[in-house]
Amino acid sequence: MYTLLSGTYKYLTRREEYYVMIIGLDNAGKTTLLERIKALFLGVPALPPEKIAPTVGLNICKVDIKSARINFWDLGGQRDLHSIWANYYTECHAIVFVVDSTDKARIEECKETFEKIIMNDNAEGLPILMLANKQDIEGALRVEEIKEVFNQIALKLGARDSRVLPISALEGHGVQEAVDWLFLRLQRNKINRPPVFQ
Amino acid sequence: MGGLFSSLFGRLWGEKEVRILILGLDGAGKTTILYRLQIGEVVTTIPTIGFNVETVSYKNIKFQVWDLGGQTSIRPYWRCYYANTDAVIYVVDSADKDRVETSKEELHSMLEEEELKDAALLVFANKQDMQGAMNAAEVSEALGLSTLKNRQWSIFTTSAVNGVGLNEGLDWLVNIIEGKNK
Repeated sequence: MYTLLSGTYKYLTRREEYYVMIIGLDNAGKTTLLERIKALFLGVPALPPEKIAPTVGLNICKVDIKSARINFWDLGGQRDLHSIWANYYTECHAIVFVVDSTDKARIEECKETFEKIIMNDNAEGLPILMLANKQDIEGALRVEEIKEVFNQIALKLGARDSRVLPISALEGHGVQEAVDWLFLRLQRNKINRPPVFQ
Repeated sequence: MGGLFSSLFGRLWGEKEVRILILGLDGAGKTTILYRLQIGEVVTTIPTIGFNVETVSYKNIKFQVWDLGGQTSIRPYWRCYYANTDAVIYVVDSADKDRVETSKEELHSMLEEEELKDAALLVFANKQDMQGAMNAAEVSEALGLSTLKNRQWSIFTTSAVNGVGLNEGLDWLVNIIEGKNK
């Protein structure tokens, strides 16, 4: 009897858990974004940007939205570290790809990296959110311009959910919308990538 | 009351003590790193049997750093020191490709311990001054760091002898610890 009751209790109060990867080239602003998410959802002050060193490893942030928990994995973006990303695809539920909108010189490199991600078998069907970061800086590429570059490979995205959104991780513009978009897609993609239960 | 005052004092002066373990196989350079951090000099070391413990002040944080001996026969005693640890600095000899597999096994069996569930992991890929040393990506691959999904980790290439990379690693640690206490 006890087992039945405690089992029911556990079933009713269990929490869906999702994992989201934040990746992109180095200096795109991934860790700044993670800090902004922390500030927005957990109320802890964001780490000042000048204190953020290039990530070589993994930063984690856990956010509770409604009855679900989203774990963000912020991975290092240096070229040597791209090989590490592949180890996380099978266990994640969505991918956030951060682009430095002010770095026009590397937009091609960005595209190639993005192509590699979406072509990976383990990442198939995962919702992908592309964030055009650093919109606070004058002269940054606008969302339309970034879309134009990536439209060339849009065919390879397949039937998955994807979106490009403008943000400024530094000032916090657009971050809430980005997380809202993600949360909805995570729920919709449940059948393909079921959440982990705590 | 006394506790209240001392915690108030601690807040005012911002000196909190953080417990750090330095672990790794024998000959990785743990003791050299400890004294490089503490007195900023390279000291002549002998294989540690037992432990060295020193307090290192860095950016307003007091680190209580435990450097435990790394030889096979004394590795089982590491677990006696796990309780209340805030972070583990794991030191690897990047030039020693033969034993990196052993190093990986020790690391993963250590991280499975319940007492280290919340500890952050900082890896020092040490001995970068030696020829043929593996880079950060190679060491993280060899140690299987990417299988860690619920732990903050970071890897830095260091040379304890030249003092390269140690401060960058500590900076990362300071950020993590400040984030935890908020």
